Amino acid sequence: MFNPTDIIDLLAANVRQTRNPFGVRPSRFNTWWRGLSGFTRRPGDALLFTGLMYQAIPYINATTRYLERLEGSSWAGCLRWGRLVPASLRGRGLSVLTSGADRKKFNGILQTICRLLRQSEVNFFYHPEMDFYSGILLYDLGDQDGFVRHARFVARTLQLHGVRKVITVDPHTTYALKELYPRYTGASFEVQPYFSLLQCRGSERGNGKPPVVLHDPCFYGRYLELSEGPRRVLRDLGLEYVEVRNCGEFTSCCGGPAESVSPALNREILGRRAAELKAAAAPVVTFCPICLANLLKAGLPVEDLASLVGRYLAPEEK
Amino acid sequence: MALVDPDFAAELKAYGVDTALDCFNCGTCAAICPLNFEHFPRKMIRYVQVGAKQKILQQAQDLWRCLHCGLCTRTCPRQANPGELILGLRRYVLAQFRRA
Repeated sequence: MFNPTDIIDLLAANVRQTRNPFGVRPSRFNTWWRGLSGFTRRPGDALLFTGLMYQAIPYINATTRYLERLEGSSWAGCLRWGRLVPASLRGRGLSVLTSGADRKKFNGILQTICRLLRQSEVNFFYHPEMDFYSGILLYDLGDQDGFVRHARFVARTLQLHGVRKVITVDPHTTYALKELYPRYTGASFEVQPYFSLLQCRGSERGNGKPPVVLHDPCFYGRYLELSEGPRRVLRDLGLEYVEVRNCGEFTSCCGGPAESVSPALNREILGRRAAELKAAAAPVVTFCPICLANLLKAGLPVEDLASLVGRYLAPEEK
Repeated sequence: MALVDPDFAAELKAYGVDTALDCFNCGTCAAICPLNFEHFPRKMIRYVQVGAKQKILQQAQDLWRCLHCGLCTRTCPRQANPGELILGLRRYVLAQFRRA
């Protein structure tokens, strides 16, 4: 296990300097929307707010690969000097280490969500300059001051642009905007996860397809109690799903939150959850980028809810 | 020998830890915690209750093992919110480290 303060100080410095935990310039980091057909900036009723979580996965994967090698070695202590390196250099170095295939894959999920929302005739817009990392990792790690400072900046920017309604795509950002921002910044937004807006009734295109097994993320299952939303989408599509014993509000953690301070602990927790899911003998579907990346690491056949639904409801234009 | 600070629980209120004294140490949180690690988080809550500030600081690193998955909070029969308590202790410890 790394010294948590070394990790927190490094992440906090990155968020202060670049508004994301990796020290990567936003123009390099948030590129999924480029070249997307039918892309709309304004007008629109609700802002699609990705919280940069799907975009972050290739960077998390690259970081974790190196942390895994460092953990427990005599070099682990060197992390504390990382914050002395300028954020721009840290970010550039990390960008080089990320895989292009990973970036394409996770950006593709956001593009699918965009297509699904359009297909469901949701009145939304996207503006990359209004899309920020929520700061949730700082909150989870206990850096309250760093989180509140960043959250206030994000909330103020959204308020300045007159944003009232927000559509989110992952549980961590949804929790931050729905529960933490009102408490710590005083700013309230009407927050809805994208799957609660999808209209699939009557399509029943999934009839006769093999069942999938669901992995609920902790934040949707317990903190926000939104596990029913994705199930409703699958039912409306006529897709069968299997429940494992630990599901919904009693879902098991995938180990993702331990990734930054102890990749070894992450592997231990992930192994246990992977075994539970494997026993169901069906492809796994989840709706959180952190869970998705983790379960992929365990070698499970797993895909994001958006990718699955997108195949039936809004196939990619060739 | 560990010194106890009877005002510790009150001091922690500034960090959002205000339910520690509601806990009656049944151990449900430790039983359901996916870490299976040395009676975590019950042990930490007990330290707060008895004012064992030094014990918390000595074992501070263990606080960051918590996955913040919320299973303990969901199943706590006293609604003592063990998950948020651990989060509050992280805030407290981080503030102490930064001050030092």
